[in-house]
Amino acid sequence: MTSFFGRFKPGTSPASPATNAVQPVKRDPNAPQPTPLEKLLGDAGPIRPDGSDKFFGYENFGSTCYCNSIIQSLYYSVPFREQVINFPCRSPPEALERPPTAPTDPLKINTDVPANGANSALSPKGRNSMSSPNAASPRKSTTTPGGLIPPPPMQKPEDNKDSPEYKKKQALAAGPVLAMDYENSKAYGMSESLFTCLKDIFEAVIAHKSRMGVVSPNKFLEILRRENEMFRTPMHQDAHEFLNLLLNEVVDNVEKFSKQRITEGGEETSALANGTSLPASNNTGWVHELFEGTLTSETRCLTCENTSQRDEAFLDLSVDLEQHSSVTSCLRKFSEEEMLCERNKFHCDNCGGLQEAEKRMKIKRLPRILALHLKRFKYTEDLQRLQKLFHRVVYPYYLRLFNTTDDAEDPDRLYELYAVVVHIGGGPYHGHYVSIIKTQDRGWLLFDDEMVEPVDKAYVRNFFGGEGVLACAYVLFYQETTLEAMQKEMEAEGLAAAQQASTTMNEEGIPQPVKSNANGVGVNGHVPGTPSLDLEEFVNLNHAHTAPPVPVSEHAPLESTLTSLPGLSSKKSRTNLGALGRKEKEKKKEEKERKAAEKEAEKMKKQKRKEAEQRLKEEAKRADDELRKALEASRQSAAMDEERRKATAATATTTTAESTPPHSHPHTAPADPLEKVKEKEKENTTFGMGSLSRFRHSSMSLRGKPKFWAKDKDKSEDKEGNTDAASTSRTETEDEKTEEGRKNKSEKNRFSLGRKKSTFRL
Amino acid sequence: MFVLPPPPRYPGGGYGGPGPVIETSNTIARPTEDSTDHLVVGEGTYLLRDDIHLATPPPHPSEAPVHNPNPLATTIGAPTAGTKLSLVVLSPTHSANTRLYRLDTANSTPSQLPQSIQESPHETTSQGSDAGSHSAAYSTRGGPDAHTFGEGNPSLALANGKEGKDKRRKPKNNIVKSNSSFVSRVIPHDSLNKRIGEHDPNGIYAFANVNRALQWLDLTSEKKEDQLAKVLFTKAHALCHDVNAVTKSINHLDVVIGFSTGDIIWYEPMSQKYARINKTASKNGSINLTPVTDIHWLPNSENLFLAAHADGSLVVYDKEKEDAEFVPENPTDPPPSNNPQNGKLQILKSVHSRTQKTNPVSYWKTSSSRINAISFSPDNRHLAVVSEDGSFRIIDYLSEKLLHLSYSFYGGLLCVCWSPDGRFVVTGGQDDLVCIWSFDAGECGLVARCQGHNSWVSAVQFDKWRCDGRSYRFGSVGEDCRLLFWDFSVGMLHRPRAASVRHRNSVASTLPLPRRVPGNADSSSRLRSNSNLTNANAEEEDAVVHGVEPKARTPFLPPVLAKKVDDHPLSWLAFTEDGIMTACNGGK
Repeated sequence: MTSFFGRFKPGTSPASPATNAVQPVKRDPNAPQPTPLEKLLGDAGPIRPDGSDKFFGYENFGSTCYCNSIIQSLYYSVPFREQVINFPCRSPPEALERPPTAPTDPLKINTDVPANGANSALSPKGRNSMSSPNAASPRKSTTTPGGLIPPPPMQKPEDNKDSPEYKKKQALAAGPVLAMDYENSKAYGMSESLFTCLKDIFEAVIAHKSRMGVVSPNKFLEILRRENEMFRTPMHQDAHEFLNLLLNEVVDNVEKFSKQRITEGGEETSALANGTSLPASNNTGWVHELFEGTLTSETRCLTCENTSQRDEAFLDLSVDLEQHSSVTSCLRKFSEEEMLCERNKFHCDNCGGLQEAEKRMKIKRLPRILALHLKRFKYTEDLQRLQKLFHRVVYPYYLRLFNTTDDAEDPDRLYELYAVVVHIGGGPYHGHYVSIIKTQDRGWLLFDDEMVEPVDKAYVRNFFGGEGVLACAYVLFYQETTLEAMQKEMEAEGLAAAQQASTTMNEEGIPQPVKSNANGVGVNGHVPGTPSLDLEEFVNLNHAHTAPPVPVSEHAPLESTLTSLPGLSSKKSRTNLGALGRKEKEKKKEEKERKAAEKEAEKMKKQKRKEAEQRLKEEAKRADDELRKALEASRQSAAMDEERRKATAATATTTTAESTPPHSHPHTAPADPLEKVKEKEKENTTFGMGSLSRFRHSSMSLRGKPKFWAKDKDKSEDKEGNTDAASTSRTETEDEKTEEGRKNKSEKNRFSLGRKKSTFRL
Repeated sequence: MFVLPPPPRYPGGGYGGPGPVIETSNTIARPTEDSTDHLVVGEGTYLLRDDIHLATPPPHPSEAPVHNPNPLATTIGAPTAGTKLSLVVLSPTHSANTRLYRLDTANSTPSQLPQSIQESPHETTSQGSDAGSHSAAYSTRGGPDAHTFGEGNPSLALANGKEGKDKRRKPKNNIVKSNSSFVSRVIPHDSLNKRIGEHDPNGIYAFANVNRALQWLDLTSEKKEDQLAKVLFTKAHALCHDVNAVTKSINHLDVVIGFSTGDIIWYEPMSQKYARINKTASKNGSINLTPVTDIHWLPNSENLFLAAHADGSLVVYDKEKEDAEFVPENPTDPPPSNNPQNGKLQILKSVHSRTQKTNPVSYWKTSSSRINAISFSPDNRHLAVVSEDGSFRIIDYLSEKLLHLSYSFYGGLLCVCWSPDGRFVVTGGQDDLVCIWSFDAGECGLVARCQGHNSWVSAVQFDKWRCDGRSYRFGSVGEDCRLLFWDFSVGMLHRPRAASVRHRNSVASTLPLPRRVPGNADSSSRLRSNSNLTNANAEEEDAVVHGVEPKARTPFLPPVLAKKVDDHPLSWLAFTEDGIMTACNGGK
């Protein structure tokens, strides 16, 4: 089906290997001009399996832009996307078929549990095989047969080509249109829910061969409307409310599913104990891990001077706005002291009765993704309705929080702005939502329903608001980052801008040396870079510890560098999430043991980084697919490695693995494949990533992160409830960790179970 | 006191609103007696004197005002900057330091100071004498060791030597009669020469760039709202300008203007002559194509000025030299992408280069991100540079070396200013903070963060009349429309860390001030920053790269006064001896 579309409109599927940037595409003279997005993606390499290079618009079914803008924002949050597609497990491509063709195998979710060998046979032409250049796979596309023949791209002369309406129509016509009117929940072993629909959409987008297209989220909306009366009307809805509902739904669905699983399958999970488990299904708290932070409200009774504290969790922060302020100051205001008096007195337990009190709220635990809701819709008494505030509120690209408690962990965490949901319109009851999102390596893009268009970074600043400015930011998504990543990005952006300036001059006919592509500078102020580079950056994001360094965090990036293999990242980050809380504690412990070795490792790491960078530079000119082959080769070796290790697993695996300092790994891993490139180039790449993905997690843990392996075990054991037997064979340190892990986990569970609507509203 | 921008562009709430309001002349408003526009500070009360609206120029006719109803239009407008002014006093002495440490006691007659919040008169006299003593102290400090840029380079010295002492060279082209497509229109005052003649040599001229216009005002005149001249440019927006302090005289002013297109104009308003530098549309190739974000004459130089470009380049031009296509002289330097963190100053053309026939005189690159502001230290040795990536650099521009590099708490830095004695630097940025950095003998460390603005800080300025060696006053303005005053003293900045942490949460508490010797204090702050380097390049010797200080370890300083002075985000601030002037964004 897609290939049909490809033929139909050659310009629209540059993703197909034949139309790669290497050879210029022969265009039908009648075909419309390439859209800016097509131009942007013109030089793209093979499609990546993690979905980071998919740019789909979403169809608007009448005022469903609130939904589109939020889903887009979530999709481009790397950890969120990874979690969604990996929970409860990443579905094999067969499962993505529409239900009639895909009889749901009740065992499907468990197939990959015990035997890796069996599964690897299953998926030679898994989704990932699409990334191999010559996969003219006969696999059915996920597009629906009906209603898919796009209307021929009619160009009404009266239609202004620059109008968004025209562009949207074009996008819809160009297709491919993914009609998400089916659901695969059974394939995931879950019951139908908003989460499964979201997963359906994400999976379908990632699996699709085209880089661009339009998603019709029919089913998603159907379920949303079925279950929530509020969204049933075709009226304009509040995007923030929707975000909140969606996050809470996802939490609920996920938790419900895992509870169910725990009660159902003691035996199933016992099979996981051999360490090759899929732990993500156990890790139900990932939404919490990502979006949830903790607010502490301190209330000081003015009568008895007694201070009481109460913790509350939040998934996003709603802040009041002031004219001519900044997000920083709104957040500070949020935490300012508030007097509880008159009608709003505080019931003091200490002195009993209502007393005047001072209350202030601070952030105790910082979320990894900070969703900031700017309260632009305010109820005005005299008008008896909501009104939109057009205040000018500036938001920086980077942010730290001032309103943290003194004992907060990593209180100076650095956030970067990655998505802005913009409301356009004069009031709360009508208008339009779009989102502007920073994608991993394509810079900022504007997502306006069906239309996706690259925009300049400065464009993001157009939505501060102000009198008479109808389009203003409504929800801001900040994700954690590191100072290093920030500096790197800044540098790249500056370079790209400079290059752009010089190329525009070129167009004007002034001769100037064209810089080679070696810099890898993209059109949109971004460095496409090699996959490994990107992922290194992104992996860093998994580790919250940002610039003002807390000693504990020192080696966090070291551990993570191992994941600079693109294919690995997805599984990897899942692991990270699963173990995040735990890891923090571990780190503190390990810190002591390692301090001595650390300095040396640091040096080694530095040197290796230099070497790796050097190598990457040299490799930059190579085509992406070559690199990919290399990486796959490394994965194969990883798999082999893993198998070898498994043989010895029964004996002393964990201890030996642990004795190798993780520091030494990171750069050998990416370096390896590159060295092997030449030998492996000829090797058959159809040894699919899909199959390898079964190994990924476990092989990872064995090679670089023995801790995780141990922990995964723990987790499954936790579930079984027979930890004692298993843990006796372990070393002492591990035992401690197990305990901690368990503690952590139980805390987490308690936490997430106890809460439903966790947005904090002021 | 305020130079106001035009009224909001979109008066109605209509979809997209009508086009910009077109104003052709400036207006002035004087507040009534019972106005609430006053500030009470320790030294007296500032009253609002004048409120001048500078006319926003209409878009050039060649650019049809594109009315795009789509608020999501992805076309990016040219970079713009808020209204910036520079003040010139044609005081009789021409020594290099006059402008920095000038003694304008003659100005203390309140009525002569227009357009400013003014202290109550009885305060003024005492302040005047105070100021005198301070400046005397400073000038002994800064005077003798004034080095010149590029000294020791014969090829450059030759060029400088040509300059006749008696007669200032004027640019070639007459701007009024010019048929350049760059300059759209020049509107000189009808009786320009008469007004120039009437100008009090101690009075203040002001230049203001508003969108695509540059206005020249006489703030001492009765009709100060009437510009002496207004130059309208065709497409380019003037982003910054500077007046040469060395060459100014009764009948000569050297103004350089930097534009959004990257062009630079050397403009001599008295004779209405101009010359173009870094012509971006020229066939010979130009030096740098990115917008000029800040521009300053090199201290003590008649010809050389430094332009900061949006791609992170710092370029020294000679106002009288021809442009030539710029090719980096030592291409062996790796492109900055490979070493984003070490922040080393890349010298693409050194001032000591042998070939000095054409512009640029020198060309440095700090990083790839946009430089937002530059400032020369009062002793004329150092240059402070702040940029969009949040970096703050101190460069020894005479020896072309980076001395210091550190970063904002988060977000870009927007403005920078040296204390009058050169011992402190303050920066303001997108983290809503004003940061005070100590700078002593090449060592620089963060001493305090000043929290008080509700939005980005767009300008900071020391009030040199209220700074002595021990305590300092500076002001800042920001996007929150407010003017804030800050006082700090050397002792108080180096409070023990524990105290500062406690202080962090209670802005209102009084400040315990354990006195310390300033010299030692600096070293402690330096240690502090070294101890938590995030940076791999700590071992680099010539540039000290600092990480970001955690907020728990940095003292926070509250403002002594905060006042909302306008309805529009402010963009500029200056202290005169007995007044303050602010300006706000002249059109977005």
